[in-house]
Amino acid sequence: MSRRSRAAVARSTAADRSLVVLSGLVLLAAGVLVVLLGMGIFGVYRAQRPLIDPDVTAWIAANANLTRWIAIVGGIVLLVVGLTWAIRSLRPEARPDVLLSETPGQRLTVEHSAIAEAVRNDAEAIDGVSRARVRLVGTERRPALRMTLWLVEDADVRDVWAEVDGRVLARARQAFAVDALPTAVRIELDAAATKTPRVL
Amino acid sequence: MRFVLRLLSPVLGLLVAAVGLITTIEVVTAWVAPASSPLVVPWPTWQAALLSSTWSSPVVRGVAIGVGVVGLLVLLVALVARRHDVRLTDPVPEVTVTTSPRSLARAVGHEVRSHADVVSASVVASSKKVVIKAGTLDAPDDVRAGVRERVDELLSRLPLARRPRVSVSVAATKGVK
Repeated sequence: MSRRSRAAVARSTAADRSLVVLSGLVLLAAGVLVVLLGMGIFGVYRAQRPLIDPDVTAWIAANANLTRWIAIVGGIVLLVVGLTWAIRSLRPEARPDVLLSETPGQRLTVEHSAIAEAVRNDAEAIDGVSRARVRLVGTERRPALRMTLWLVEDADVRDVWAEVDGRVLARARQAFAVDALPTAVRIELDAAATKTPRVL
Repeated sequence: MRFVLRLLSPVLGLLVAAVGLITTIEVVTAWVAPASSPLVVPWPTWQAALLSSTWSSPVVRGVAIGVGVVGLLVLLVALVARRHDVRLTDPVPEVTVTTSPRSLARAVGHEVRSHADVVSASVVASSKKVVIKAGTLDAPDDVRAGVRERVDELLSRLPLARRPRVSVSVAATKGVK
């Protein structure tokens, strides 16, 4: 198993998860701190002070312009960070074309749909596979294959593998002229009944 | 839970962006054209409320507890949302093979139901454990042994990266054979 083939199993949610964990921690910490503050843990006198402290109000009155600039810059930073976060999270996963040659004037790429369709047809020709779905993930320079195979009942997983590696992936590797093509195969077992009826 | 995470993440991002946008708009309005302030949100009302309440007032505490609970839920969503793929052994180094717990349960379920004496079966599977509950009209103990044998045989046929523990329980179902 390689790192890249494992990364191709599914779209990574690492960024989303980290950001959501961070938001959760910030909210939780803020809630707990305010409750503790109100209970007088950080001083009984402090708990009796208003939320907008007179000291803060005085500082703002003394530095009105500086406060405005801080608020404007802070607001713009939040806007940019929030929009970037939302856009990155909503953007569909890339379907890279494959770059075969980069020589200037002879740049050659193969369209994503052409490759996916070819590999899918190869995979569906395997005995025991009823349906296949194939797409490329990653980048143009470092593509990886993600393949979902629906197996019929009684299909031998090992036989299917041998075919996938020996024929389908071998052809794909040959076509891309690469030694290794990171691939994530997702297998759906017993997805379709065999031709013979199970109920007698 | 991954679905909830994928939904929650952009929503939180948009909230952060909205807070930033509104802050900027209100500050600029209050500075450049104080007459038309507040423009979007009634912040002077909020300011008055914040000035008049102290850290120990019950409303503040209530809101803080609410924020803390929401934070905890958000944290839980993020921590629970992981993939539950069942790994199969890799045929070659650059290929990773997985299946879904549901698909494994379906395969085990077919195998169990193909036993002649089993009239009903339910299977829950994960990469660590397969739980089988079956019903039969015959002596449960005999059927249990038969079911276990079939499932063991199926699991040895599947090239799973780690063999899950199998728990089989068979109950007698009322009925006529």
